[in-house]
Amino acid sequence: MPQSALMPPSKWYSHLVLREKVSIDDYTPYGTRAIFRCRVELDFEGFGRDASHIANANKYMKLPKTGLWQARLEYPKLPGIAAKQAHRDQTQVIATSKSLHTLQMHWGVPFYLFLSLYGSLVLGQNEEFHEELTLRPLRDGRLASRFSFTTLLQGATPRDPETLSMEDDAQHYTLFPLALGQILREYAVTEMHLTLNAGRWSYDRWGYPDEHGVGTGAELWAWMGDNNITSHNIDQRWKGLRNALAGLFCASLGSLDDQRTTSPELTFSPEGSLPRWRSSHQLRHGTLPSENVCTENLTPFLKLLPCKSLSGIAGLLNPHRLFDADWHGLGVHVRYLHRKGVEVRLSFQAVTDPVRYSLTGKRDWSLRSVFDRTIDRTCPVARSSEIRVAVPGEDSITITPDPSSLSPDYATYRVSETTKPLDISMQWAEEAKFEYPHDITPSPLTHISVQRTLKGSSQSQGRLSVVIRNHLPITIQTSYLESMPWLLQFYLHSLKIYCDGASRDDLISIISYIPPVPHSRPTLLQALLTLPPRSTLHLTMDVIKPFLRYTEHPPDAQRGWELPPAVFIPIIPGDKPLTHDKNTSLPASRLDLLQLPPRKIYSPTLLVDLATPDFSMPYNVIIMSCTLIALIFGSVFNLLTRKFLLVRVNQDKVAPQPSS
Amino acid sequence: MLADDAACNSRNKFPGCVYPNAGRGIDLYGDNIEVDYRGYEVTVENFIRVLTGRMEPSVPRSKRLLTDDRSNIFVYMTGHGGNEFLKFQDNEEISAFDIADAFEQMWQKKRYNEIFFMIDTCQANTMYSKFYSPNILATGSSRIHENSYSYENDNDIGVAVIDSYTHHVLQFMEGINKTSQASMQELFDTYDFDKIHSHPGVRSDLFGRDLKQALITDFFGGVSRAEVTPPLFHVESPQSPPQFDDPHQEVPAEPVHPPDQTTPELLTPYELFVSQKQLSDRDARRSLRAWLAIGILVGLVGFVGSKRTR
Repeated sequence: MPQSALMPPSKWYSHLVLREKVSIDDYTPYGTRAIFRCRVELDFEGFGRDASHIANANKYMKLPKTGLWQARLEYPKLPGIAAKQAHRDQTQVIATSKSLHTLQMHWGVPFYLFLSLYGSLVLGQNEEFHEELTLRPLRDGRLASRFSFTTLLQGATPRDPETLSMEDDAQHYTLFPLALGQILREYAVTEMHLTLNAGRWSYDRWGYPDEHGVGTGAELWAWMGDNNITSHNIDQRWKGLRNALAGLFCASLGSLDDQRTTSPELTFSPEGSLPRWRSSHQLRHGTLPSENVCTENLTPFLKLLPCKSLSGIAGLLNPHRLFDADWHGLGVHVRYLHRKGVEVRLSFQAVTDPVRYSLTGKRDWSLRSVFDRTIDRTCPVARSSEIRVAVPGEDSITITPDPSSLSPDYATYRVSETTKPLDISMQWAEEAKFEYPHDITPSPLTHISVQRTLKGSSQSQGRLSVVIRNHLPITIQTSYLESMPWLLQFYLHSLKIYCDGASRDDLISIISYIPPVPHSRPTLLQALLTLPPRSTLHLTMDVIKPFLRYTEHPPDAQRGWELPPAVFIPIIPGDKPLTHDKNTSLPASRLDLLQLPPRKIYSPTLLVDLATPDFSMPYNVIIMSCTLIALIFGSVFNLLTRKFLLVRVNQDKVAPQPSS
Repeated sequence: MLADDAACNSRNKFPGCVYPNAGRGIDLYGDNIEVDYRGYEVTVENFIRVLTGRMEPSVPRSKRLLTDDRSNIFVYMTGHGGNEFLKFQDNEEISAFDIADAFEQMWQKKRYNEIFFMIDTCQANTMYSKFYSPNILATGSSRIHENSYSYENDNDIGVAVIDSYTHHVLQFMEGINKTSQASMQELFDTYDFDKIHSHPGVRSDLFGRDLKQALITDFFGGVSRAEVTPPLFHVESPQSPPQFDDPHQEVPAEPVHPPDQTTPELLTPYELFVSQKQLSDRDARRSLRAWLAIGILVGLVGFVGSKRTR
């Protein structure tokens, strides 16, 4: 290639390397000299969203007395980076004195050291990856499957927001998703849960889900440390987190703005532990029920997995089958576990209908029939890789192949031990055709069941009605959360409770209520309900539907607005409490709430029909008023400018002729 | 930018798939698509923001058009349109002037090298008639006062799956691979009224190159060439091997090397200053001319007015 065709190096430099970071990991002093272990992290463009390269470097060096330390690192061939980057075999990196704060005691001692580098990838010694698939036949013939991919970064702690103004530690991950890790560090997020679901989870037919976040649409909640720095305050970071996740997961979470953000701390208590920092933690929660979930959300999800969808259990995640499911949802859960580290759990949950796929109407299923794929390879970096199949007790069921271990409830397959390709199948041998259960109200699978409806046909007011049934023979309590955009405003004084027909206003205690501010803030209503044994509670409340500004309507305004689900947490006495770590910074008054089992029940979403204007009205008004103005102006102008004169007409000529 | 969730809509019989023809040969949605703007986010404002790069700092990289003056950009638009407008989301529209101004802004901000603009809508050719920025090649599906038609229906889905013009271009592109030498002229030569049922147009007066020289792969899936450049810096090997034995040896501090500034592409501060000065000179001349013109105009009006009153 002629020399003139070459791109100038500076262009390449800016084109390809998005970010580079050098950090000093540690150093070994030898008298007055030292060997430093540096890490160089480069992000390259053109290798997907999370392409990065981490190189280890040993550097023998001297330190000048100034605050800025500068050194040159030489890259031999970077493994994994193709020839495109071959030009970048030499580069210059600058580390400021901030990353050298541990070395200050050696300042002034001259080191004259020698440079040696190797471009080997950092091998994770303290990261664990576990994958699990749970398959559960449901009593209506469907199959619930739950994928769970857990990555634990041992020894890691979330970033304290007080340190946001300082330079962050370098991030070197092997299995932990870097793209997500960068977001968590950038916005100092301690705990985060994002779920993107499509469809309505039917608690009555399917029971409690394995992953509790099953609200329709997108839901994001995060616990973040508060701080007083205005440029990094919690609302700024919450906004940044929303936007970053929207970009990462191709979702429209950017529209989860302040009009949908609340802090319902009773219902969404942290699932992990919160580190004890100088400032307290705060919750931010938002839902977007109209969000779609499709292949574009699954693609970045799979990219966060160490084996992508190439091998292991994740190979079963076939978008064409998953998005054909009766219910599907994906979730990203990040939490901090004290003394263990930061855990990222990626989950995918689907309810598929084998009867629909079957030609003979049987509910037999296999991995091939449900996902159209089998497991051909194990994911080599997975510490454990298990498939658990729930065995319903009542029928004669055959499961092939033989499981690695069998308990009364579950057949467990360890993917690394089984023969490949692995295609688990379950057959109901005696069943010629699946009979849907005739019992309209079968025995309940959950403690309570919830119905929520919006009544009234008017576009200005209506009535919210919630029906809660207690299926247990004991009195239980349940928390009740309404986090409602200002599109629906409650008349709290009209709240009435009827228990089996009798008015019982003593059964509710309102814990907190934040009224809405039109065009800016949502309502937050948290209450505690007491449910007498085997009773049905009717809760009604009048609501008004406000007028929206002309520009606030969505493009399909006549469709109506989706409202977020209400969330209930039944508190069952004697139920196994949630394990609670003492090393949290939660106030003591909230500790008892942590004992709640995190079994959330999401009600279905509502669709509210708000008054919509005639969108062609402005044009009609313009046309109408222009016509009127033209008419009025024309006549007035005429009257004012036209001169009215008496015209003398020649009498002789015009005089009527005498009739003959 | 996809305003509709066509692939996972429950009325789509083939979940997660979008097919461009009734035979369902190619799945456009595929297994690993990424969509940056979808649903209500697809607005004229967002489109113009993507083009011009005026974004809030927290907008993620995937929602930005990270281009510079060496980037070739392909812009494809389709939907319902008319004379000099294209509808977005059924309630707003982008006009030909909006796009032309956005492209000019991009040119002034050095956000593109060349743009290939393709639009498939009724009266599509009016949409590129207002462009005035250099290095834009534009093509549209139909003339003014002319409709663009759909190509075929998929009876299983119950809707028309592709437009005639897009189908025709797609057919041509299917024959192109990464190393193809086909030129834009060859693409435009295949336009045929009998096949498309409308008169596609081409606008190349702003485009600096001969269409026979402009390769299709300049805009579509070109091969990224590996170019090896001479090293930026020379790493001196240490003059003397490190002597670990003598801790008292005083070693002169190695001078800190500033970043190499002699690379040919970098503007030196002087050149930058000159170019800015020229720019400001030109601006000053322009505003002087404008004021002069206004002055003459006012003078003329005054003159005429005074004549009238006399």
